[in-house]
Amino acid sequence: MATAAMGGGFVNVMKSVHHMLTSNGVGVLGKAVCASSSRYFHFYSVSLQSRGRGGGGGLQLFCCSRGGSGGCGDYSDGNTNGYLKLRDEELMKQCEMNTFKSSGPGGQHRNKRESAVRLKHLPTGIVAQAVEDRSQHMNRASALARLRTLIALKVRNPVHLHTYSPPLELLEILPPKSTIRGSDSRPQIGPNNPKFVLGMQALLDLIFAVEGSVSDAAKVLGMSTGALSRLILSDDSLRMAVNELRASKGMKPLK
Amino acid sequence: MIALNQLRHERLMELRVSGLCCGVYAKFMRPGSHFCPNSKSGSSISSSSVEVKPKIPLYLRPPSFSASLSELKKWHRWAKNLASSVGSSFVRLDNGPDSTLLRRELNWLLQDLLELQHHPVILSLLESDSNENVDTSVALKAPLEELYCAWRQRIEERRPFQYVVGCQHWRDLVLSVQEGVLIPRPETEMIIDIVERVALKTTPKLVHGLWADLGTGSGAIAIATARALATHAHAHAHAHGRVIATDLSPVAVAVAAFNVQRYGLQDMVEVRKGSWFEPLKDIQGKLAGVVSNPPYIASGDIPGLQAEVGQHEPKLALDGGITGTNDLLHLIDGAASMLKPGGFFAFETNGDKQCEFLLNYIENDKSGSFCNVHPVSDFDGIQRFVLGFRQRMV
Repeated sequence: MATAAMGGGFVNVMKSVHHMLTSNGVGVLGKAVCASSSRYFHFYSVSLQSRGRGGGGGLQLFCCSRGGSGGCGDYSDGNTNGYLKLRDEELMKQCEMNTFKSSGPGGQHRNKRESAVRLKHLPTGIVAQAVEDRSQHMNRASALARLRTLIALKVRNPVHLHTYSPPLELLEILPPKSTIRGSDSRPQIGPNNPKFVLGMQALLDLIFAVEGSVSDAAKVLGMSTGALSRLILSDDSLRMAVNELRASKGMKPLK
Repeated sequence: MIALNQLRHERLMELRVSGLCCGVYAKFMRPGSHFCPNSKSGSSISSSSVEVKPKIPLYLRPPSFSASLSELKKWHRWAKNLASSVGSSFVRLDNGPDSTLLRRELNWLLQDLLELQHHPVILSLLESDSNENVDTSVALKAPLEELYCAWRQRIEERRPFQYVVGCQHWRDLVLSVQEGVLIPRPETEMIIDIVERVALKTTPKLVHGLWADLGTGSGAIAIATARALATHAHAHAHAHGRVIATDLSPVAVAVAAFNVQRYGLQDMVEVRKGSWFEPLKDIQGKLAGVVSNPPYIASGDIPGLQAEVGQHEPKLALDGGITGTNDLLHLIDGAASMLKPGGFFAFETNGDKQCEFLLNYIENDKSGSFCNVHPVSDFDGIQRFVLGFRQRMV
């Protein structure tokens, strides 16, 4: 039941993205067949403001929306929640890496700083790119960190509300006051910690399952609505994802 | 515009004079500013009688200067316009930087110029059109006058950005560089991945051996190799090996030693002055690994190089003779006797044809000396590296 509600919510968000993009003249860039079904997804190119650094870099992501009609849950099948738990090298293996090829012989011939890196995560089609760091190595690390954020924001795992118990990585980002943390006295993990994305993904899974209701999610997590709102607002991308969902449900954005 | 320039030059002169008196960086710098070296006095760098003092890169200097936000904004707008005026003219001229890249460099310059914790705030203030806070004083690591000069040199003289700020970001390192030292390239970052993947993981005993980086320049390969040895030794709870870095250029020796010290690797990396294997006679046949990015450009191609490279970087580090292979052949010959049996080598090459030529040379002229010899491509798909192991005793 909850799965259906969540899946429907996700599709709605993607429909609103579809509407937003097509009405702004951004065309569907391509289609890919979903491995687990014959349905296809539309791919869009969307740019997001980069997080952190003040530099002029942006990043691209591909959003998928379901083509055709009916059904739900294929995109959010049980296999997707593992991506963020992979080590960097394992996640890299699922990616196609492109650099921006330059003409000419390269190496000592060039004073070359265009060491941009573009990673495409093949199982989901999500693309993350980094150009603003000065070394290839660091651009790869930045792109991978962004890919993790985008996976957390875009890949939904099913949540069965009646049997739900929050996973450890979600508990870790909750304030210590939350009653479901119980005797757990570990410090709260904030948005600057690389482990935050894992908790963020689990939190979004829950918020999608309760169709964007912060108070319902807060109840499940044993905390006040205000405290959960503060947590959501502490990270820009998390706030944007939650507000996008709420907008699609006709709810007011969190501020 | 002319009046402005005159004014700027006068202020610069004042600054140079005062710079001589105040001597903030007297210990490390020759008279004159780091950003705007007098090109005539700059040539004294090669005199070997004087010990070379490496310059302190901008990002490591104390923020002992200041400007009002409005002055900084004015400079920033001027610098952006100068970058934009380039368009794609350098690209057409010699495959140089376009204005997008130059504007990105301007952001990196600001990163190094400002204190880290203030950088995001100031950057957003610089980009905003509002006239608020214009009187705010901003702490800078170089005086504003030098910044005008520095950016002019970047654009008009095509001085490499890395020499302007005195550093290059390479892998996870920030290395000091200056005129007389080759700026390490992104392609070369891969040599370290090769050392880790091909040598250290497959042959763990190489981890505690003695390695050499020949023609080390800024010390990039030596430092990153030492860090890789330390990481892998830690994983296997072994003692780690050591790296000897050699270079013929006294500037390179001084800069490499400075960088080694910056990363606290004095116990692991020793810098020796001399040509290729010459300073290593005491350890013939004992090396576990030899790595190098030697000069490999054919002499005839040097005049056509991008201005940043051909007019500013040391020929000693670029020119590999008529076919570009002089030094690579010397390194391959040397590796055959300097490596211990089972020892590893990896060299960067000019790519594709030159790489093939060297593979043929090893197969035909050095048969029996090496095994598992093969090329590896760089991120642009060019066969860039040649690597292999010294044959074990039969």
